[in-house]
Order: sequence, then C-alpha cells, then structure tokens
Amino acid sequence: MSAELVRVTIDERDVHVPKGTNLVETALAAGLEIPVFCYEPRLGEPLGACRMCLVEVEGTPKLQAGCTLTAVDGMVVRTARTSQQAAEGQNATLEFILVNHPLDCPVCDKGGECPLQDLTFRYGPGNTRMSFEKLTFEKPIPISPTISLDRERCILCYRCTRFSEGVSEDLQLIAANRGSLSVITTFEDLPYKGAFTGNVTELCPVGALLPTQYRFEARPWEIVDVPTVCGLCPVGCNINATVREGKVKRILSRNHPEIDEGWICDKGRFAFTHLRAGDRLTQPLLRVRRHGLEAVSWEQAVDEAERLLREAHGRVVTVFSGSETVEQVYALGTLLRRGLDSHQAMLPEEISGGLDAYRLPLSSIRDADVVVVLGEVPVVERAPIVDLWIKAARRNGARILDDADDPAVAEAERVVLIWSGPGGRGGTTVAKLAEKLGLAERDGCGAFYLPETPNGRGVADAWAACCDEEGEDIDSIGLLVVSGDEAAGDDNVRALAEQADATIVISMFGGLAAGWADLVLPGTGYLERDGTFVNLEGRLQRLRRTVTPPCPDELEWIAELAARFDVDLAPYPAAIFAEVSQRVYGSLAYGEVGEVAPLRGYPEAPEQVARQPLPVPEQKARRGQIRLVAYKPLFSGPAVERVAELQFQRPQPELELSADDARRRKIANGDLVTVGSNGSAITLPARVNRRLRAGIARVALEHSDGLHGIVEIAKAEKVSA
Amino acid sequence: MSETTVRVAEGPALVLAGYDGEPLTSLAAYRAVGGYDELEKARAQDPQAVIQELIESNLRGRGGAFFPTGRKASFIPTPDKIAKPIYITVNADESEPGTFKDREIMLKVPHRLIEGCLVAAHAIQSSHVYIYIRGEYSREYEVLQAAVDEAREAGLLGGVEIVIHRGAGAYICGEETALLESLEGKRGQPRSKPPFPAISGVYAAPTLINNVESITTIPAVLAVGPAEFAQIGAPPDSTGTRLFCLSGNVERPGVYEAPHGITVRHLVDDIGGGLPGGHTLKAVMMGGSSFPVMTPDDLDTALDADALGAKGYFIGSGVVTVIDERTCMVQFALRVAQFYMHESCGKCTPCRVGTRWLVQLLRAVEDGAAQESDFDLMLDVCDRIIGKCLCVLGDSAAMPVASCVTKFRDEFRAHLEHGGCPFGADSQLAGLFAPVDQHAHTAAAEEAPV
Amino acid sequence: MTTFYDEVQEIRARYPEGTRSAILPALQLAQERHGWLSREALEEVADALDLTPAYCYSVASFYDMLHLDPVGTHTVEVCTNVCCGLVNAQAVLDAFERELGVAPGETTEDGAITLRAVECLGGCSTPTIVAVDHRYRQSVTPEDVPAIVGELRGE
Repeated sequence: MSAELVRVTIDERDVHVPKGTNLVETALAAGLEIPVFCYEPRLGEPLGACRMCLVEVEGTPKLQAGCTLTAVDGMVVRTARTSQQAAEGQNATLEFILVNHPLDCPVCDKGGECPLQDLTFRYGPGNTRMSFEKLTFEKPIPISPTISLDRERCILCYRCTRFSEGVSEDLQLIAANRGSLSVITTFEDLPYKGAFTGNVTELCPVGALLPTQYRFEARPWEIVDVPTVCGLCPVGCNINATVREGKVKRILSRNHPEIDEGWICDKGRFAFTHLRAGDRLTQPLLRVRRHGLEAVSWEQAVDEAERLLREAHGRVVTVFSGSETVEQVYALGTLLRRGLDSHQAMLPEEISGGLDAYRLPLSSIRDADVVVVLGEVPVVERAPIVDLWIKAARRNGARILDDADDPAVAEAERVVLIWSGPGGRGGTTVAKLAEKLGLAERDGCGAFYLPETPNGRGVADAWAACCDEEGEDIDSIGLLVVSGDEAAGDDNVRALAEQADATIVISMFGGLAAGWADLVLPGTGYLERDGTFVNLEGRLQRLRRTVTPPCPDELEWIAELAARFDVDLAPYPAAIFAEVSQRVYGSLAYGEVGEVAPLRGYPEAPEQVARQPLPVPEQKARRGQIRLVAYKPLFSGPAVERVAELQFQRPQPELELSADDARRRKIANGDLVTVGSNGSAITLPARVNRRLRAGIARVALEHSDGLHGIVEIAKAEKVSA
Repeated sequence: MSETTVRVAEGPALVLAGYDGEPLTSLAAYRAVGGYDELEKARAQDPQAVIQELIESNLRGRGGAFFPTGRKASFIPTPDKIAKPIYITVNADESEPGTFKDREIMLKVPHRLIEGCLVAAHAIQSSHVYIYIRGEYSREYEVLQAAVDEAREAGLLGGVEIVIHRGAGAYICGEETALLESLEGKRGQPRSKPPFPAISGVYAAPTLINNVESITTIPAVLAVGPAEFAQIGAPPDSTGTRLFCLSGNVERPGVYEAPHGITVRHLVDDIGGGLPGGHTLKAVMMGGSSFPVMTPDDLDTALDADALGAKGYFIGSGVVTVIDERTCMVQFALRVAQFYMHESCGKCTPCRVGTRWLVQLLRAVEDGAAQESDFDLMLDVCDRIIGKCLCVLGDSAAMPVASCVTKFRDEFRAHLEHGGCPFGADSQLAGLFAPVDQHAHTAAAEEAPV
Repeated sequence: MTTFYDEVQEIRARYPEGTRSAILPALQLAQERHGWLSREALEEVADALDLTPAYCYSVASFYDMLHLDPVGTHTVEVCTNVCCGLVNAQAVLDAFERELGVAPGETTEDGAITLRAVECLGGCSTPTIVAVDHRYRQSVTPEDVPAIVGELRGE
C-alpha cells in the first residue's frame, strides 16, 4: 500500500513524503535536522511536550511543533536555519529547559554523549538570565538497584514514562504531581522492576536516568562500542558493548528493526558483570587426590585432557548448554567424533526443522491481525523481546488469543503462532498447527517456537555438520564432557557425572564445577567470543569478541587437542564457520553474516513436518484439576546469579493461581497454600492472577522443588506462632 | 451569607428565559415555561437543518474561545462516514477565575442544559453525552444528576445516554483536550492539535465539545429563530445574549444576562451599581484572569469580541472583575501568576518552567528586590511563553502579567524605589499566597522556593 | 454488601470497555471510604481497574481534590483567588487559622479539621467562598468563622 505523496518545501528544499509524515521526519528526508528531545518514534504518537522542534510554517502566525504537525501538500516550512522566529523559539525553549538544570556536565555520566549538551551548544543561549534558586531535589535516587534518577537534570520529556506505559506496558515509572513540581517516580519508592526497565536509561536525553553500573566508569572519548549480539536468550538482540581499557562497562541496544527495534531486556543489559564474577576461572583446575581441585598450567591441563580422552576408549558423552557458538560446537564435535569416534551427545533441547517453512522476522508479529500464544510459560521469561512485539501487535489492534481453534484465527488474514512451552517438541507441534491452518507461504503468516537456550539450533546444526557417522550406543560412560555453565549447573548432568569414570567441565565459574569435576577448563563468555549464533527466527548472527577473555579461547585448546588425535582443525572462527557453512548455511562466507543480519532461512530446509496427527499435550488437566507449570525465569541462570544488582528482579517464592481456582478453594492473595503431588509438597504464598487460565498454576522453577504436572492445591493450615 | 444575584439585566431572556428567581429544577417547572418544546421541534427536523440553524445564528462558544458553535458541529462526520460512535462532551469544568455562570445555569435551569445536549445530540446524531463537571461543584452535580434522571424517566432522552463525569480539581481540565484526557482516565494534560476533537476526540472518536452556556443557548436559538438571534447583541460576530460575571469591588456583583455590545462601564456602573465606598476603578480583569487587564480609559469599550479585540482585550468567559485603587497591581500580577504556576499541567517546557520563573520575578518586585532591567526580562519571558506552548495556559499566564508590567510600570517601579510594596497591608491582596501545593506531597519534591 | 471491587465494576460499565475512564470515580469512591488515598486504597483501585498502583498514583497526584496524605474528618477550603481576595478573603483565611490553630494545608491536632487555601471556586459574586465539607458557604466574613468552626466541632 503506497500512501499519497505530498510536496513540502523546507528551508527552500523541496521534498516529497507520504501524506501524514510529521515535519521532523520530513526534514530528515530533505537532509535537514529539526532538533528534538521528547520526540521518539518508537514510543508511539508524538507528544509535542519539549517544544524543541518549533518551526515556522508559512500562513500560520504561531510557531508549530515539528513533531506533531504533519505534512500537507504545498506546505512551506522554515527551520531555525532560515527562520529567525524559529531560531528564537528554539533558543527560548533551551533557555527554559536550562532554567532548572544544574549544568553539572563535568560530573555527569551523560556528558559527551548528551543530546541536551549537544543541542545547547548548537542552538542555546550562551548565558543564563535566571538569578533565582533552582528547583532542588534529593539526588541521585536509586529507582532500582540498576538505575539511578537525578530529578534536577530531568527535563520532563516523558520518554521514560511513555516507554513504561506504551512499550513495556508495565505502568510503573510514572509522572507524579503537576506543573513545575512534576517528577518522575515509582509508586511508594518501590524499585522499578520488570524485564525492560533499563531501556529508559538509553531513552533519557539527559543525565537523569543512568545505569548505576556505569556511574563514574568512563568518559565518551575513552570508550569504544563493539557491535555484537546478546547471547543470553534465543532472541539474539543486537547490542553494542561499551569497552574501556579491555573491560565491558555497559551494554547498549543496537537497533535491529526486525529483531529488537532497539529494545533489550535487563538481563541482556545488566548481566554482563558476570564476566568479572568472583569465582571466574582463569586457570584450569585438576583433581588431585585428597587435595581436591588444584590450579594447574594450561600445558598440564591439555595433557590431562588428552589422557582422559584416550582412557575413555571412545566412551565419551558430551553435554552441551546451548550457549556455545556454532564454531565451538563444531570444533569440539570434530575432535570427539572424527578424532575419537565418540558420537554420543546430549543436545540442550529438542530441535525441529519443521518450522523452517514458517519463518518470519519477529517484527512481523507487530503487523499480524491475530497472534495465537500457546503454552503457559510466560513469553517474557523465555524470549523477552517477543513479549514486546506481542504488546505492539495488541496496540495495533491485533487480537491476542490462546486458542488456535478460535474462529477468529480462520478469518484473519495475517496469523502468527507462538509456542511458549512447556513442551512443544522443539517446534514440531506448532509447525503442525501452522500446517493445519495452511499458513505456509501466506503473506504475514508464520510460526515461532521459543526455545529454552540461546543457540540450541546452532549447536544442533554444528554437531550434525561435523561428522556423518552415527556411532554405536555405549553401555557405560568413560568420560563425560560438560560444555558450558548451564550444563554445569544442571542437577541432572551432575547425576550423570556420578556414573562416569571421569568428568571434564568447561565452565566460566569455579562455583559450578568444584566438587564433582576431575578437570575443569575455564570457559569464555559470549562477550568474549567470535562466532555465530542462530536465534529463534532461524537467523544466523555474528558474535564479536568485545574484550579479550582472561583465559585461552576454547578453540585454541580444542585445536591443540585435535592435533594430538590427528584431526586437522584451524583455531579460527572464520575457518571453522566456512566448513559448517558449506554443509548447513549455503556456503555463506563468515564476512557476509553481517552486522545487521538478514533473515536468510535455511537454503536446504529440512523436510516438512511429518504428516502425523497432532500429539496430545502431556497430562492434560481434567476439570477441577490443576496442572502446575514450573518455568525457568528470565532472571535466573549462572550469569544472573553472579550480578548483585539483578537479585531484586528474581521471582518471589509464590504460586500463581487463576481467579477461578483460587475462588473455588477460598484462597486469597497472599494466603499460604500447599502444593502437593505424589507425597511431596511445598508451601508458598498465593498470587491470584486474573489473566491465568483456570486449571493452570505457575511457579518459578527455583521455587518448585521439582514439582510439576497435576498437583493438589489447598490453603495451608494456619501455623501458630 | 447571601445568595448569588442571577437575573436578566436587559434585553431578551434567552438562557434564563422563564427564570424569575425560582430555580427551574423540576421537569414540571421547566415544562411550564415551554421547556423541551425546542427539542421536540428539533427532533422533527433533519439533523443537518439544525446545524444549519446554528450556523445562521452565528452562536459562538461561551467558554472563552468564541468559536462558532454551528461550524464546530458541522465538522463532525456523519455516522455513515465513520465506523466509530460520535460523542458530545459538555465542558462544565468552569474554573476560570471570576467565572461563575455555568454553575448558576446548572443550579437554576439544569433542564435547559439537558435540552441543549439533546438538541445537539440530534444535530450530530450522537447518542453519548458526557458532562464533565468540576469536582468542587457537588451541589451542582446533584441538581444536574437529578434533572438528568427525571428527564430519563420522562422518556425525554430518546436513547441518548447522558453521563455526568466529575472532575477532581485541576483548572487545566477546562482546556478541551485536557478534559478529554481526564475523561479517558489519564492525567489531564492537553493534547497537540491537530487532530481536533471533531475528528479524534474522546476514545479517538469524533467529539463535539461545548461549554455549558453555549449548549444551554442552543434551545434559545431555536426558540427565537436563527435570523432573529443573529440580530440580538452586536452582530455580525457577537450575537445573542451573554451571562456576564460581574465581581470584585462593585456594589451589586452577580450573573447578569444582557446582550453582547453593552459597554463595560454600563455593566459596572448601571447594572452593577458602581464601586462601593467612594472607591475609584483602577483596572478590570476582563474576560477572566487569563487575559490582559483593562485600564479605566477603555471602560467605554463594548462587550463584543471585535470591539474588545481591537483594543487588545478578550471577552473570554464574560468576566468583568472590578479592581479599585487600593489594590497593588504587582500583587495582582503575582497572585495571577501563582495561580497559573499552580495549575500548569507540567507537560510542555515553556509553561511549566516559565510560570514559575514569572512568579519568582514578581515576588522579587513585590519584595523590592528586583531591578529595573527585570521588567524587560519579565516581558521577554512572557514573550517567550506566548505562542510557543502546547496549549493556551502558558499564554494565559503571560498575557495578564505582561499587561500589568506594561500598563502599570510606574507602580512596579515604585516598588524598587520604595524598597518593597508601597501599598503594604492596605492592598486587598496583601499577603494572599497561592494555595499550598497539595499535590506536591511526594517526598521527592522539596519545597519550591518561590 | 457490595464490595469495592464490585462497585467499581458498575462504574466501569458506564464507559466503553477497555477504557480507563472509571479511574476518577473509582479514586473518589476510594477516598470516600478511606478518607484519603492511602497506599492500600490505591492498590485497591488498581486491582479493581486492572491497572498498577503507580498509574493510579500518577493520576491521583495530578488532581487537587484527591488526597495522598491523611486529611481531617472535615475540610474547610477558603477561596484565595483574585475575586474573593479583592473582598477580604485574606481576613477570612486568617480567622480560620486563628480559630483552628493551623496553617493552610494542615490538620488540627485532633485530626478533626483540615484547612486549605484553594483556587477560585466559582462563587465570585458572593465572596468569600468557603467550601465546608465540599458545600459552599457564600459571603463568609471573618465574623462568621467561629460559628462555622463551632458547627464542625459539634458545639
């Protein structure tokens, strides 16, 4: 659909823009800048609050706000470049903005990258005529452990509150009071809590909302922003890592319009300090009888690894985390499979190629007419940004349903299915639904499966690509190789280790491997790696090394080991990728993956989903019964556990109950309830969630004590003091 | 504790027709003076014809903007052109200092307001009416609600739902888009225009917004006929009568219905009985506190928008507040500026910051702590507010202040020479401070040092 | 007895579905019940409207008539804007301050009466306007003040 074009003359330049384009965008199209503070197109309708964008419009006596006024054919506009009136208007706005601003740029973290500072230099008065006391506030106020607020610097552009209301829809960061006493605040000084709060620090055009982690850490001329991709969830948001003197100082969004639109979650933004966690390993650890683990040299560690590999006689089992790069898995796979004929691996999760026929960019969710979200795991806990796309869809008028049989689905033009889990067989189930609904090759239609791990698909791709042989089943485990922190932190993996003759753990953190590994090889983090990831859209993306890891890169020692087993492996991501790419990624060159990667899909997509009847979901609750869903929260895992500022974000021990089930059991908000199944039981406070479906109860995995499936729920007996 | 004087001072009784001191609050009483006859007539007509009559009458908005009521109604899309409901919103958030006429309409002739709503609803084919009444008007709300209920029971609403929505104390909600935001359950901060409410008003649907007096005048327009109405008052633009709000240092303050075009002097001296106690007139708060103050040499100006406009005044909401020689005009400007600082919504920069700065400057003048150059600075600050804000509240603060600085510069200067206010405690406004900022209760905001 | 939640649902029904229009009436109702908008009151409103307490607080703090701090059982609100001011509102306010022993914005020690100075109440021709428990008293003079206070104190 092409909109009608109109001609606008702006500073004597003619430009054609679609009718309805605002003047700020019109000016941009003409190569001109109209300065703004409150205008931010990603926040919805323009506000017209800051009055920085005042322009002169021929035929209108008063100056007009360029952000709210839209282009009309024949309109003649003058910006401050050619209009004295507009220049004076902008000067006036800046004078007013600075009346109460403390002008403390030398001690402000925003200094040097501050729109207020920049625009003041370009358009503002050189002096102040304000001779009275400025408004003062207590400062800085921690509105959460991760964000501080300086109300004196705030210019009340309402970007942050509009984000909270109209993007994340958490309605927590608000404006209070009226007039000159207006302030940005939270309710009752409670921390601003939620998956996306940190975005307000990037939206703030002054130094009012700042990340506490970055306080007094760097100046803009000392830093470099390295473009990479977040490796903490399957979305793969594009990010910049701000690096100063070899250390990551903060994470910023890097707008990929199809993936994240420039928003990132707080885990992606604030969890990076896990790189400097107290138990970060830099030296290999070897089990020495009676002494436990002792630090050893890398030479010794590699010798030891070689010895353990040889002693296993091919009975090696490898467990992956799903957070490894494609290249790491390919390298390790090549060593084990080609060098040792050991083909046994536990991949992090089930992967299905069935969805490849229904691939869409995430941004297409926003344009859907109907979005069907299936599963009881909250989307935000698995793939946070997807939740923002769903919210955007709802604001656009889409219907958000939880039932694919709803008649609205059949009637809608653009249908998007999202499977959030639990279960779903790696996307097979939702792919079958998509097939049943005939979504293939229909414009704007598609399906998503939200995996549990950041690179589960890439790990599976790489493991499959490194060898064609299958190998035989083994009856005992000679050596268990545990790759990555998530696997190392998994109780089931530790149980497996007990059956193994020996265990090698590759992990960043001593805390995860102490006590049960025979050899611990320090691992790297996603911010320290070069390589590729495949996200939940099936999009191949490039990770860049933003800082040098404090230990050798995995590829280095894997290649060295490989050589000892006569396997030729170059320890370079580009070389390894070239091999994988030949087999899986259509021979795409490493350099072509791109900094803003397109959605290429799989050139040789695996076959369509087998034509079987839809599987019946496991353990469907009967009427009156309750099925407990224990989900892995967004704010959990080895990285989050090591970031003190993120602890407040972790879920409370509580049980979410539907209003129906609560009423039937006479349970009110805050009541203690007992959840039991097969003789084991836990007691938790209840939280009644009116949006939860009847028959479902939900709890964070870390508070579930292993319970899931059909459970009995009752109000707990009053415990006497 | 006397009651407000409300009467027809001269000319035809239109808004107050049939009212002779006994409130027409019951349906029977209103019926007895011909009430709801015009509704019946209107409903027998084509909706477009009703709009046409309003256009011909040149009835203009009584809330302050003086926009032609008929034209405004004609901007509303007809139901066949739009898939959304069409709304009517009545602005009963009367808060402009010096204005107290809408309140009297609701107390004295509530059914005429309802009749006006129903005629307007027929004209634009709407079946949803919201009356946004300021929260402080509790008795007025009860009287009006009772009248709505009675009209509903009598079957007069004809499928139109009238909901009375109570405000909660914010002057800015009298601004039409702020009113819509407030009605939608948000902070009452004005929206940018365009889009205008006629296209995208409440719930983003076409909305006709009119002041209480404007709506209440509609039945009168139909009663006397548009051609006749257009001849009353000061045609062509200031047609019909007006409920003038006379207050201040005057012998007989009150709400007086009189045709547009009588002079300020006539209203003050003849209708209002002049100033009491031999005091002399120093200034008039003309139109409301949002506009330039009138000086005595302009008292013979006619109360018609064009005549006033030619001299830089505004008819506003029909306010004429008399200020006598005892009042310090710096105090007046300061009190007015404090009001706007208190009522600024805080959305746009010039108003939020400028109103507070003006208060600081005026306070310095009043305390004798200013310098001559501060007068020009004040004028410049006013100039930098006027025409640059999101809505008119900023202008409303700046215009009266600028007019005081300009017209009473000698009095301002006397404060510098005297080292403080030469009027001292004798000025009526002495010591009157702005209301405590009752909404600044968050521990966050420290005391505003003004 | 209908619960607050149910009552708010009735108010909601007056407005189109999915809108937040019921928030002012709901806040007013909560204030009637609690005397002021305490944290609990705001949480109750938020729950009934499917909003957050923060949002309700944001809205409430915009309006002068919604109290986010405790107020007295009775309120005395004296108009101090220009029209009443020209005809001696200051003297009326002073009289209340003396009689009650509190400054505007404060509540008497016994928690009985809150005195407030407010903006134009729209009764300009009968100054001074004093809203006593939200009912206007017209043409109030300083001499009337002791009787009004006495009335509130049940004397």
